[in-house]
Formats: sequence, C-alpha cells, structure tokens
Amino acid sequence: MTLKGGATSACAACKYQRRKCIPECLLAPYFPADQTKVFQNAHKLFGVSNIVKILRSLDPSQHAEAMRSIKYQANVRDRFPVYGCLGVIRQLYYQIQMLEEEMHTVLTQLEMYRQHHHHQQQQQQHQHQHQISSMADDVISQLELGMAPSNNALPLFNQVTHQPYTMQNTYSSSDIDSPPKDNVENNSLWIQHLFFDTNNHGTSNNDSPIAIQSQLLVPNSEPLADTQHQVVQDYDEIHPFFDSIDDRQSYIDTKDAEDSSSSEESLKETTQLMVGNVGSKDLKSAAACFSLTSVS
Amino acid sequence: MASSSHSSNFPCAACKFLRRKCMPDCVFAPYFPPEEPQKFINVHKIFGASNVSKLINEVAPHQREDAVNSLAYEAEARLKDPVYGCVGAISILQRQVLRLQRELDAIHADLIRYATATCSCNEMPPPMGRTCFHHNSSGNIYYPNPHWNEPYEGNGRSDGGSL
Repeated sequence: MTLKGGATSACAACKYQRRKCIPECLLAPYFPADQTKVFQNAHKLFGVSNIVKILRSLDPSQHAEAMRSIKYQANVRDRFPVYGCLGVIRQLYYQIQMLEEEMHTVLTQLEMYRQHHHHQQQQQQHQHQHQISSMADDVISQLELGMAPSNNALPLFNQVTHQPYTMQNTYSSSDIDSPPKDNVENNSLWIQHLFFDTNNHGTSNNDSPIAIQSQLLVPNSEPLADTQHQVVQDYDEIHPFFDSIDDRQSYIDTKDAEDSSSSEESLKETTQLMVGNVGSKDLKSAAACFSLTSVS
Repeated sequence: MASSSHSSNFPCAACKFLRRKCMPDCVFAPYFPPEEPQKFINVHKIFGASNVSKLINEVAPHQREDAVNSLAYEAEARLKDPVYGCVGAISILQRQVLRLQRELDAIHADLIRYATATCSCNEMPPPMGRTCFHHNSSGNIYYPNPHWNEPYEGNGRSDGGSL
C-alpha cells in the first residue's frame, strides 16, 4: 500500500494485509512489493504470524537464510500441493540411487577395459619377444654353417648373455618356469641377433649392436646395469664357446706348432746323440755343420 | 495414517489439542488419530490449523492422506532445524547428485579413452550410454520454476550462507 506523500511503497506482506508498512517491518526485506505471488504462497502455507514467529525465534543473522528456505518451501508446495518438498526429496533419493547404480555398472565396464588393455599390452610384449627369437634363429643357422663371428661381437657377447635373464624379468610368471636350456638357447640367440645386425651394418663400430641392445633393454634399464655387472662372472660360462672358436684357430696354429715341435725334437735328438757319442773335436765338427762353417 | 473407524467419543488429535468437539465431519479426524498427538502439534505449530484445513480441502480426497503426511514431515523438519527445515536435506541431496554426476562424467571419459585404445580389436562392447535425467540449464533438477527462489544454487544466493 503506497503511503501518502510518495514514501516508499509497502512490502508485499503489508500490502496484502492492507496495513502500514513500518520501517521495522520484519518481512519487508524479504517480500518486496513486486513479489506478491511469492508472499501469497508463503502466507498460504505458513501464515504471516507463523513466519514472524519463526524469525523472532532466530538470530537476526539467520533471518535471510530462514526466509529463503521458507519461500522455497512455499513455492514448492504451491507447485506440488500434495507432496511438496517431500516429493523433491524422494525424487533426489531416487536419482542418487540411479546414479550410483550407473556408476557401479560403468566402473565394472571400465575395469573390463583396463584388464583387456593390460592383456593386450602383455600380448604385444610376448610377440615382440618371439620376433627377436626368430631373428636370433637365423643367426644361429649362420653360425652352424661355419660363419665366424666378427671381433666386434665379442664384447657384446658378454653383455648380451644376460639379455635373456633381464628380459625374462619382464616375462609373465609362466615364462619364469622355462627350463634352463632355454636360457642357453637364448644366449646364443641373442648373440646371433647381434652378429646378424653387426653383419648388416658392416662396420666395426660397436655402437650399432649396443644401440640395438639398449633398445631391447629400454623397458628395463636396471637389467642393463646387472648385465654389465655380471659380464665378468659369466665370461667363464661363455668362454667354452670361444674355446671352440679358438680351437678352430688354434687348430691351424697347433698344426704349425706340431711341425715346429717335430723339428725341434729332431734337433734335440740329434744334439743328444752327438753329445753322447763324440768328443770335443767331434763337437766342433758337429757345430761346424750347424754353423755352416767348414772345419778343416 | 487415516483411522478406519472414527467415533465421536474419541476426539481426534486436532480437536483434542484445540479443545473442541470433534464433529463427525471433522476434516482432521481421518488424518490425525488420537494415538498420534505430536503429529498435529507439530503441524499446528508450523503451519497452523486453518492453513492445514485449507490445504486438505484443496487436494483430492484420495490424496489428502499423502498431503497431510508430507506436511507433518515438513513441520517436523522445520522444528528440528528452524533455519533450513527440510530444504536443508534437499540442498545436501542436490550436492550429492552433482558430485555423482561429475564422478560419472569422469568415469565415462576414462571409459571412452579405453574404448578408443582398444577399438582395433573390436572385441569389447561399446561404452554404456548415460542415464538420461532431466536437467535444466543450471544443471539442477526438479525445480518447478526457475524464476522462483531455488535452494542455494546458481545465482539465487545473495548471501553467503551455506549448509
């Protein structure tokens, strides 16, 4: 109700009640003149007296929040006369239940995807290992055909021998139980792989096989250190292989050695004979034979 | 709970509290049995008997029991929490819904990433679609009129109060 003299207009509550809106009106801050519908809803549900009673039971700092909830509650009751805010609460409970069920289902599906992804990764890893093994087979066949390994491969051989051990650490548990002879085969396979690559590169540079080795060891950097640490210990284990290689070479050497040794033995025998049977004069003559000087 | 048998000898809780004669056509009698006096006391304290009577008469007869029960619930909530009443529970539940929706969105994003990563094998079923809930522009639900005051969401909050 507008006051005479053009003063501020009454609030919706006072206007509805057709009374003078005093400055101390409790409801004026919360029911402006333009929100008549909101006040009507609140008045219909609570009544002015009950609203004022609630506000007076509260601290002034809580009036704003209380009025906000009262207006909301009244508006919902006006929209839904039967259930009011209880209907809203039930609907929210239902929605929460649906969301939780959906979340459970999606989490289950996500777990399936994760397991599938993890399984895929393992399969790819195994395939990669098999590819390397097949390439090593080629190198073995070349060795069996009598192809001598290059000198560049020798130090790498020491480093590579532990490749299977290190790579085996990345295998699944089923691979751990492989028999030891597989390790021996892998040893040679790794060596053949490096030999193959070394031959392909056709260079005496040791970096290329090392690079390949480092690529192979990328997923496991620690095993590379272990490999280097155990090179010395395992050198003896792989040494027989080189013994065989050396045997081939030494076979040629020994052959010459035998020739030289036979000549030496014959020389010794001759010397012994000559020493045992002849005197000094004869020795001189014998020495002359050796010195190619005639003794007259 | 509406009393199946009503007798004038036994006034209803409302008439007993109001100290008046409980008439056969008492509007409160079916819904405020004398065994539950606190129910009417709460409702009367918050809403007032006259308002409750008007609200009951505005609702269809087969829905009046539910209406009275909801009023009793709201009255009890307002007595326990004079500031927020039952609206406090609504606010808490709405925040929980929003939190669950955000979590679900994040999980869906992860699911799509995994599905995209494994789509080459085409062995995994496609991700589940989202459950369709009715949302308004602000992301809240079940608001009958966005122009009305909404509990502590969006732009409606001018003060800093919160639960």
